[in-house]
Amino acid sequence: MNAHFVKFPLSPTIRPFTIMACAIIVLGIMDRGHGYFFSVGTIFSVMQLFATIGLVALGLGLSMLVREFDLSVAGMVGLAGCIAVMTGVENPWLGVLLGVGAGVVSGVVQGLIMTRLGLSSVGVTLGGLLTLQGITYVLTENKTISYPNMAVALGLNEPIANLLSVRSVAALAVFVLAAVVMTTTHIGRDVIATGSDRRASRIAGLNTDRVIIGVFAASGASAALAGVLLSYSLGAASPVALADVLAPAAAAAIVGGVSVVGGRRGPMGIAAGVLTLCVLRSGLSAIGVSPHVHEIVTGSILVFIAILDAPDLARRVTTWRLDRAERQAMAKKSS
Amino acid sequence: MSDGALNAASAAPMVRLRARMFQSGTARRRIVLGIRALTIAAIAVFALTTPGFTSPLSINALLNAISFIGCVAVGMTFITLTGNIMSLCLGATLSASALVFLASLSAGILPAFLLTLLFGIVVTAAQGVLIGYFRANPILVSIAGLSLLIGGAELVTGGVRIYPGGEGLQVFKGRIAGIPVETLYFFATVVVGQFILSWTRIGRAMTMVGSNARAATAAGISTAAAVTFAYVLAGACAAISGILLAARYGSGDMELGTGYDYTAIAAVLVGGTAIQGGSGSVVRTLIGVTVIAIIEVVLLLRGFSQQLQYLITGIIVLSVIMLHTIGERR
Repeated sequence: MNAHFVKFPLSPTIRPFTIMACAIIVLGIMDRGHGYFFSVGTIFSVMQLFATIGLVALGLGLSMLVREFDLSVAGMVGLAGCIAVMTGVENPWLGVLLGVGAGVVSGVVQGLIMTRLGLSSVGVTLGGLLTLQGITYVLTENKTISYPNMAVALGLNEPIANLLSVRSVAALAVFVLAAVVMTTTHIGRDVIATGSDRRASRIAGLNTDRVIIGVFAASGASAALAGVLLSYSLGAASPVALADVLAPAAAAAIVGGVSVVGGRRGPMGIAAGVLTLCVLRSGLSAIGVSPHVHEIVTGSILVFIAILDAPDLARRVTTWRLDRAERQAMAKKSS
Repeated sequence: MSDGALNAASAAPMVRLRARMFQSGTARRRIVLGIRALTIAAIAVFALTTPGFTSPLSINALLNAISFIGCVAVGMTFITLTGNIMSLCLGATLSASALVFLASLSAGILPAFLLTLLFGIVVTAAQGVLIGYFRANPILVSIAGLSLLIGGAELVTGGVRIYPGGEGLQVFKGRIAGIPVETLYFFATVVVGQFILSWTRIGRAMTMVGSNARAATAAGISTAAAVTFAYVLAGACAAISGILLAARYGSGDMELGTGYDYTAIAAVLVGGTAIQGGSGSVVRTLIGVTVIAIIEVVLLLRGFSQQLQYLITGIIVLSVIMLHTIGERR
């Protein structure tokens, strides 16, 4: 009973919310009633940050659901941003369409390579990452490209009800869509089944290759949309600036309870994970803590989760305890 | 060079077809081996026919490029070999090691060297213990390590560049008999790494753990110790690379090793070490690093723009990885 109470808030389903609640409480205490943390401005900046890394985390998290790892999302963010900025000057929607289209194409191509040739995702998407970065360099000719349509940039970041912006609403909408698809349609079941046990799913008659290709297409599209929205709202795209999204995205997905061994949790868990990291980052900067503390806090949480999720932890602890008990018994006997 | 890429790309489906025709594994292995030899030959021909490739200047640039990334790639090899895919933390370990080295130079060159080596080892060994003894997820642990290193370094240095606190950097730069010293250190790393891998008990254990962890356990090998040792070696390699880079640039910050993780794992995979572990060697990684560096130098000499170089290198890496994995597939 006691063990249950300890384990319950840390079980993968509840964990992201537990961590988020802890973060909010601790930040609230650290704020000491100044109201810097519990403010509308903090919520707005949390949601802006959410819009930036959330969709990348969703893409990566989806690939992790089927026990793959899509490294190419980092390259896709940059490429889609550049495509959108270059083609969407007259009509922003065209830029969105082409950028997201590029994401789908890259995902499908990589998915096809993986499934047809039976290759592992890390190798293929690593090559994909380098190739996508190369394409981005070629398209932009190694320069930062500015986006002259400032109306779009301003409109995307225009606050809605002081809390959200068009950009964060778009990101939230994609998450809701993904969650609805994953929970109410057979696609969600297929994805979870493929991630849980691919061989069993195939034997049960599921076309797992098609699921994998679809997941990578969705992952590419999601990362691409993140890149498009970010570049539009920054009013610029450059081939180098957006490379460092992979680590926070992976961290967010894992905090959100997406097990790296696949088959667990879905878009809502990922959303909670992203929100937790965003609350930490925005909250810490809102109460005036320097940014490196955020890195240390994130790192510590990740170490904690890594140890918690480690399959051999329980076994090691039990053996150690038994050993100690035995040793104590021996000591008693000899004395 | 584009011919080599074309070769590799168009060869992939053909290998698959042939593989089906030849049911025997040895025949298929021979074909894959032939294609590998052909690819290397094609790269060699392209390099040697490129005007200016054999000039001391370009050879020098080549050796330099190989040395810095090579040390990290050798370290990554051990991690990949034990079945832990890759670490996203080696680049940050490199940067942090460079900072430690520069800051501790005031104590003398040898103490600084040893302290830095120890630092690199401690950073990755801690991750190795989590991964080896608790079987924690390697990618997750490496991201955690990355965050902690970046945050910790900022906390200690305040985000400013670090300049050497003492003399003696010459030991790690310049040249002996016309060869850059960095290259000598790198080759020493390769020799020691390959020696450990093939001739010591723990080295053999690392390969076996990557190949089949359960069988290794059944054979009485401590998988946890082997994995931890692989991370120890990786940390040492990253630290050496950090020292060489610090000596070369005479200053350092946390940006020094940015991007090295991806280049290193690309070199490991191009060399032909299997991503799922259990098969590979340090010498293969040496070949992988060299191939990538030659491609980059040749593209540069043939007047390709920087951006086209990135693209072509990416495509070649992708095709070579595909080629290898097809060869290893059951």
